[in-house]
Amino acid sequence: MGNKVFKQAALAIVCTGGLMLGATAQAANWLMLQGTEPAGAAERAKLWGFVQVQYQKDFSDANPGPAGCAPGGSNCYVPPKLIGPNLDSQSAFNVNRARIGVRGSNFPLDSNTNYFLLLEMGNNGITAPGDSFVKATDASVTFSHIPGARVRAGLFKYPGAEEGLQAIHVFDYINFTKVTNEMLLERFPNKAYTADIPAQPLPTTTSLNGFENGVGAFRDVGIQVFDNFMVGPNMDWELSYALMVGNGNGLNFSDTNNNKDLYLYASAEKVFGGAGPRREGMKFWAWHQDGKRTADLTNDSTANPVEYDRERSGVGFKYLKKPYRFTAEYMTGEGMIFVGPNNPDFDFTNANQGVPTAANSGAYGEADGWYIEGGWYIPNTKWEIDARYDFYNRLKNTSRFEFERTRWTLGTQYHFNKKTRVAINYEINDDEAPGFASGTCGAACGPNNNLDGFDNRIAVQVTAIY
Amino acid sequence: MRVSRKYPAWVSVLFASTLLATALFASSANAAEDKPFAEHKVVLQISDNDPSKQTLVLNVAGNLLKSYGSDKVDVEIVAFGPGVRLMFDENVNKGRIGGLSTEGVRFAACGNTLTKMTQALGHEPALNPNAVKVGAGVVRILELTGQGYTLVKP
Repeated sequence: MGNKVFKQAALAIVCTGGLMLGATAQAANWLMLQGTEPAGAAERAKLWGFVQVQYQKDFSDANPGPAGCAPGGSNCYVPPKLIGPNLDSQSAFNVNRARIGVRGSNFPLDSNTNYFLLLEMGNNGITAPGDSFVKATDASVTFSHIPGARVRAGLFKYPGAEEGLQAIHVFDYINFTKVTNEMLLERFPNKAYTADIPAQPLPTTTSLNGFENGVGAFRDVGIQVFDNFMVGPNMDWELSYALMVGNGNGLNFSDTNNNKDLYLYASAEKVFGGAGPRREGMKFWAWHQDGKRTADLTNDSTANPVEYDRERSGVGFKYLKKPYRFTAEYMTGEGMIFVGPNNPDFDFTNANQGVPTAANSGAYGEADGWYIEGGWYIPNTKWEIDARYDFYNRLKNTSRFEFERTRWTLGTQYHFNKKTRVAINYEINDDEAPGFASGTCGAACGPNNNLDGFDNRIAVQVTAIY
Repeated sequence: MRVSRKYPAWVSVLFASTLLATALFASSANAAEDKPFAEHKVVLQISDNDPSKQTLVLNVAGNLLKSYGSDKVDVEIVAFGPGVRLMFDENVNKGRIGGLSTEGVRFAACGNTLTKMTQALGHEPALNPNAVKVGAGVVRILELTGQGYTLVKP
């Protein structure tokens, strides 16, 4: 019901925006910034990219309980207590992202065509599964021949939640919110049933990430129609829309089934001034995604893939006028709810013995979450202060496997210059499985045995854009 | 009561010719007459493909106006080669060009380049209404320097 409302609202706004006439604006939102080039002023090939180097330390305790390393045993760890993407330590330096790309107008005299190519060489969820040295995250061509209906084809960020759609190198925090990381940052089913991986001791030789493919990185291969329009008495309201059809298979170039994902997006922004990623304005948006995923989640020796529905929707608001920034997003999901990298069968405890049902499997799961965040750019300094609160309710449709995950993130950023900065985040976690008794009490406490020791984390990250 | 005045045909021809000559002269021959009190005369050249040069040449023009006042400095921007993209009607700097134009900055686009671009594109690119097509950009620069303009290539 909720998703239908989101879908109808997004579709209505898309149709309205598509029919409105108005002067197109210079690229100044994510759809335009990533999908177009400035008319008459684009290079044939602009080399660009960024590097992010980070250090993270997690203060979580080992799992309590009896000796040994069975699930719930002592000196064992579950993924949220370890540093990703490798999940084999509680502190690590990492070159999280190292991207290089070219973009521009391939025939500069004709501003109606442009392209965007970007490669990832860092160590993260994109490259770590499968040990990829390099992976293409973007490879697209945009045609701007039809007024009001630009067409972008290839691999690129699909229109959706602000946290995923925005350029990661200007993201104001180091880690995504839990709802974005778990509900939106898609993990794709393995080709065959893959059993849960139990908690591991440190040091470990067993990877806690059971997924064979990298994360979707908020991207898909497909075709998108989009554009923006400046309207209003002062021509300072920007309406944008996007309608996309894609494989629904993330960064993978081909599809795994005949069903295609549908993406709808619409936004309205009162533009205060400026340009680019830090343009000041007050933006409202709504989006919806609908698709199917093929997975074999039954614990048997027979190949019996099933197509599961996957729907995501959301609305949001962002205000940016220095020195203040405020953002809020609410998102909801149905189907294919990720329940941890160590549970690639989308089942949290395997209590269903390999028979996914609505009551016990993430494949049929429901979730929602939201976050609010704000920033203060301290006047006349290079410092910025950030604070964020996020909440994620995972498998909220189940009575026993529901998770309520909350986190405060307190951060600061120091901007050496416009393209180089360091960010420090301190994350305060509080997770609970309300369907079980609290604390550490063996089987009666279920996941809370692990969550009881789940503690805070500190992260430092340097970003250099070139 | 309707008053009807009759002029000899040669008067009409002379009047039209004068208007045409004035327009042509004003647009390309000796534009300095647009600013009779100008103490400085500058021609800015843009012939690069680099988009940052587009911004730079407009910044320089703006800075000249700011430093001397729009009545005291006469500025013409001449584009040829890849630099002509600045004069395209679709160019993202169209707003800035309009603003500078209202303060008296003139914009000249190389006709030879436009001819070549037309061949490459298959159609003539739409020119900014504030830009004037001249025969050859480099010739236009020589004309202006011959009239005492200082050539600056940012």
